[in-house]
Amino acid sequence: MMETFDLRVKQLLDGDLSLADLPPELRAEGEEALRLIAAVDRTPVKLTPAFDARVMAAVRQQAKSPARRVWRWLAAPREVELRLRVRPWAVWGGALAAAAALALLLSRPPAPAPSAFRNVAFVRFVLYAPGASRVAVAGTFNQWDQTAAPLVPAGTNGVWTTTLALPVGQHQYAFVVDGRRWIADPAAPAVDDGFGRRNSVVAVTARGGRIL
Amino acid sequence: MKAIWLAIAIAAGGPPLHGLVAQDVAARLDGRVPPNVARAVQGIAQDAQARGLPIEPLIQKAIEGGAKGVPADRVIAAVQVLAARLDQARSALRDAGIQQPTPEALESGAYGLSAGLSAGQVRDLGRVSRPPYDPALTLRVAATLAALGVPPERGLQLMEHMIKSGRGPNDLLDLPSEVQVGMARGATAAEAAEGLDAARGGHEEQGKHDQHGEHGEEGGATRKP
Repeated sequence: MMETFDLRVKQLLDGDLSLADLPPELRAEGEEALRLIAAVDRTPVKLTPAFDARVMAAVRQQAKSPARRVWRWLAAPREVELRLRVRPWAVWGGALAAAAALALLLSRPPAPAPSAFRNVAFVRFVLYAPGASRVAVAGTFNQWDQTAAPLVPAGTNGVWTTTLALPVGQHQYAFVVDGRRWIADPAAPAVDDGFGRRNSVVAVTARGGRIL
Repeated sequence: MKAIWLAIAIAAGGPPLHGLVAQDVAARLDGRVPPNVARAVQGIAQDAQARGLPIEPLIQKAIEGGAKGVPADRVIAAVQVLAARLDQARSALRDAGIQQPTPEALESGAYGLSAGLSAGQVRDLGRVSRPPYDPALTLRVAATLAALGVPPERGLQLMEHMIKSGRGPNDLLDLPSEVQVGMARGATAAEAAEGLDAARGGHEEQGKHDQHGEHGEEGGATRKP
């Protein structure tokens, strides 16, 4: 393979130069290049009539499709001449209306979240209960059902956790350890439950869950 | 279908509504509490409904007692106490000039009474809770502060200072969290509330109100830099 290639040989192959235009020292190289190019088989590829017929049938079918014809009609560029006779105030009025519409569009508040998500917030419950075999959270949000919201161990260090979607409002709750011990959340405010124990309180607002 | 029957009952008025309340309570408590508790709670709920009190907290209290395995007589007693607190909250809010307190305000008032607020304090807070402040919200904040351990009078003082200095409702909502932050740093609940009040210029506001009278400087008050 040649390491270097004189640009004039390429120009010869491109037809920009003739062999006579080349300097004597390049002519042998030019002749060799022309010989190699000529040796390449340039015979056109012959397709079988059956293949040709199949391709043409597919093309004709595409061309016959009404949808494609309509699309072609719609998409084909054509010259359109518009002649508008407007008064200057109409131009300014239109521009102002467009600007007002744009301003209105930009100043609109973002679309509110779907109501199903607007009225709930995700609240994470965490309890440190080493040695517990199961922990659940029960409260006004799940009819005090101690099987409805089990916590899962977060690792092996006795921390149990779960995240619940709670509706907006104030909720009282307690943790149930091993199905029998009701424990108030040490991280939340608590009130007397009327039965000699304490209930924790969490409030869910539109801004999310909070201790209030 | 249930809503239609409820509407018809409301249109008819009187006893049918009571019957529906009893049915609703019975359905909610079925299988959750012993039958004698369900019957007693139905009666308490009917009475509460007749006095315009919300019955959902009563049902919840009964369900809670059943879930916790509390003896029947104590469940009934707890529901009666809660009904009495709702009634007490309604009276206090009416004394504050709120003739038709919302169910949420009544529940918050009862929550406040459970947390240690007196009926007088519920009334006082109702008086200062004029728009944009919602009595349900202010009472809930005060109750939560009390539940955190802030002495009720200290919590009320802090809230009244904030309301009078024109702080928004959202600032009130943040108070319990801010008290908890102070407690996490080693302060008692009372000290944390005291610190918040001082940081917000509460003492200055107090002095100003002492000079100008109780309702002299609503909103726009300046605070210490």
